[in-house]
Amino acid sequence: MVAPEPALAARVRASAGPPPGTIEVTVARSDPAAQRDFRVERFRPMVVLDLLIAIQREHDPSLAFRYSCRVAACGTCTVRVDGRPVLACQTIVDDDRRAARIEPLGGLPVVRDLIVDLGPFLDRWRRVTPFLVPVGADGEPGRAVPTAPDRGAIDEDLDCITCGACFAACGMAAADASFLGPAALLRAMILVADRRDGAADARLGVVGGDGGVDFCHGIGACSEVCPKGLDPARAIRRLRRWRLRPPR
Amino acid sequence: MSLPPVDVEAVDVDVAIIGSGGAGLMAALHAAAAAPGIRLAILSKGIVGRSGCSIMAQGYNAALGPDDDPERHFADVVRAGGFLNDQELAWALASDAPGVVRELESGVGCLFDRRADGSLDLAPFPGQSRDRKVHRGHLTGVEIIGRLRDALFRIAPRELVDVRALELLRDDAGETAGVLALDIRRGIPVAVRAGAVVVAAGGGTASLYPVATASHEKSGDGLALCYRAGLELRDMEFVQFLSVGLAAGRSIVTGVLLEEGVRMAGAHLLDGSGERFMARHDPARMERAPRDDVVRACYTEIHAGRGTPDRAVLLDARPIGRAELERRFADIVARTRKAGRDLASELVPIAPAAHIGIGGVVIDPDGGTSIPGLFVAGEDAGGVHGASWQGGNGIAESTVFGARAGARAAESALGHPPGRPGAGQIADAVRRVYAPLGRPAGPRPLAIARELREVMWQEAGLVRDEPGLRSAATAIAALTERADSIAVPGPPASNPSWQEALDLRNQLLVAGIVVAAAGARRETRGMHVRTDHPARDDGRWLRTVVVRGSPDGPVVETRPVVLSRLRPEAPAP
Repeated sequence: MVAPEPALAARVRASAGPPPGTIEVTVARSDPAAQRDFRVERFRPMVVLDLLIAIQREHDPSLAFRYSCRVAACGTCTVRVDGRPVLACQTIVDDDRRAARIEPLGGLPVVRDLIVDLGPFLDRWRRVTPFLVPVGADGEPGRAVPTAPDRGAIDEDLDCITCGACFAACGMAAADASFLGPAALLRAMILVADRRDGAADARLGVVGGDGGVDFCHGIGACSEVCPKGLDPARAIRRLRRWRLRPPR
Repeated sequence: MSLPPVDVEAVDVDVAIIGSGGAGLMAALHAAAAAPGIRLAILSKGIVGRSGCSIMAQGYNAALGPDDDPERHFADVVRAGGFLNDQELAWALASDAPGVVRELESGVGCLFDRRADGSLDLAPFPGQSRDRKVHRGHLTGVEIIGRLRDALFRIAPRELVDVRALELLRDDAGETAGVLALDIRRGIPVAVRAGAVVVAAGGGTASLYPVATASHEKSGDGLALCYRAGLELRDMEFVQFLSVGLAAGRSIVTGVLLEEGVRMAGAHLLDGSGERFMARHDPARMERAPRDDVVRACYTEIHAGRGTPDRAVLLDARPIGRAELERRFADIVARTRKAGRDLASELVPIAPAAHIGIGGVVIDPDGGTSIPGLFVAGEDAGGVHGASWQGGNGIAESTVFGARAGARAAESALGHPPGRPGAGQIADAVRRVYAPLGRPAGPRPLAIARELREVMWQEAGLVRDEPGLRSAATAIAALTERADSIAVPGPPASNPSWQEALDLRNQLLVAGIVVAAAGARRETRGMHVRTDHPARDDGRWLRTVVVRGSPDGPVVETRPVVLSRLRPEAPAP
């Protein structure tokens, strides 16, 4: 048995103790007449999604925003906080933060308040043929063996949750609808590397063509903001190389 | 204020699929494969492929190891389920799972973790007699659902995004004629006419409790829709709780799941005064006691007032050590840090989290129901898991039965164009759904929803008795009456409060069914514990509790379980 800790009860009480004041939140609204400034009571722990829920429950029930899983798997609660695209469920409201400005993702049409239409994002995703085109229709498929050279590139960047943060952070994707953008190019890179896929040539044609990798200015904002720590900028560099010399 | 008449938009397809998780996406792919060119619509309450709980799956149980076979997987499912499973469904799960994993890998393009020799890395999962957890790191659900969603671009069904199902539509012969839905963004009703409908909306029983792992949009819509259409629900008294839900006070991250593995790796569980309370429940095995016993002990301690002030107990992972924690549980350490706690150096408050509704609609092994043209798959269906669910069988159930139901729905819809919905069905439903928007004053949904979750936690949670269940039934009836006069301000388009009102209506219905089923089962088995009937009683209770609707409320019946493949006394294979 571990000896009961004398300070334990006090520590537990402290963690549930009084909230540290309030925070000033400014939220972008679609209706120009809607309230946009809110003073929200803090509690601990608190994430940006808590701010939005508190506003909806205690200040303005009509505030529209999106979330689903709360564990960084669905990628639907992406918003900009003070300009930076983040997952609202994963962004802690630090005790020393006095204010927050919350806006919808850039580069996408706003449906209402913080909800955006992902159509332009998905259109580009679709353009790279995002699904596997199996090499052989029948029989045992080519297996993706962990030690195979292609697996290295794949494993580093596999867990994209299509949250759109990179797309919104990319100045080129927002400005030019023909640019495939970082997320779609990352998906393309994985499929080009995947030896089970039979459409690599066609896909390299797409990513090497108009709106492809040459439109990337290499600034790297996409990799900077990815909440899963993926590196679309590296994926784009790989595709540039592979265009000249395919990986398999 | 009275509402203007509401126009109903019409969509015509062959098969309508409600839900875009593992079951819904697989149903779409298999409907398209069974009948190329078939017109499909997929309705999703949120974004397609990014709603529901499939995306959170950690692993997929499939008997693929050299020392494993579907018989063993099947026996594990049935033994864990206390022999209440529909054994034909459990067999379908175990026997189809290996093939579906292969399909996901080679057809759909999922990348699962493999060993250096190229073989699948099959990991252990508690409760499995063989290592059979197929996984992609800890983001298995993201990989499966991400790739299934990509595959949807290949078949290009009609996607109805932010569209929630309201009611099943039936023709004058009682057969499926489609589904009435609501476009949440635009606030307008949509009548999707279809010869076959697959309900794969992901259950929602877990969302009835204050601490739950479920995703935001789950509210029992599929269960309620089927129940109102007259279908029977089974095993609704069984709700799977897990002990390691994060307790983060008022934060929305309360309920996100840590891993049972942390407990098994040597963490201690402490009550509010720092005592290892498992000593009072299972002194021999302590924190390594079976999963369902541990979660019940946590609940008992909290209920008795021995937890922390905010109704939690404490996970002390310090005995495991930082290096080991960072190595084996990096995701969990990170997840805990989001709640402001360092698992390696601090105590982390945890609470029993409602994870999965085990019960659901009575189906045959192809997802078929007693209504021609209506199919149900995934968490909306009941019977696969019996009295207790095992990790890794959830995403397996969704994909296996989604595939079966999709194929059958396509066959059923071919050559069977939808009939005309019976007179008044659409108008009646639309009137009821829009009523809260037209009322000048009334209660708000959130307050009633909070009271409902409190009642469910106190009286219909992990430990139950007859007086508590009676009082829960009375409370739910009173809340339902209050909910009938809910008023929500604002327009129909993108109105979150109105959506909460519609969620609540279904949650109250499902809560009443859970309580009715729990009252009927006068024994203790799996996740259902009755302090007034504390023993498992195979003599009387190898029976399943079935609930169906009537104008006077739930009608409860019990039926003997058919032990078609395995009997309780059978030795281990």
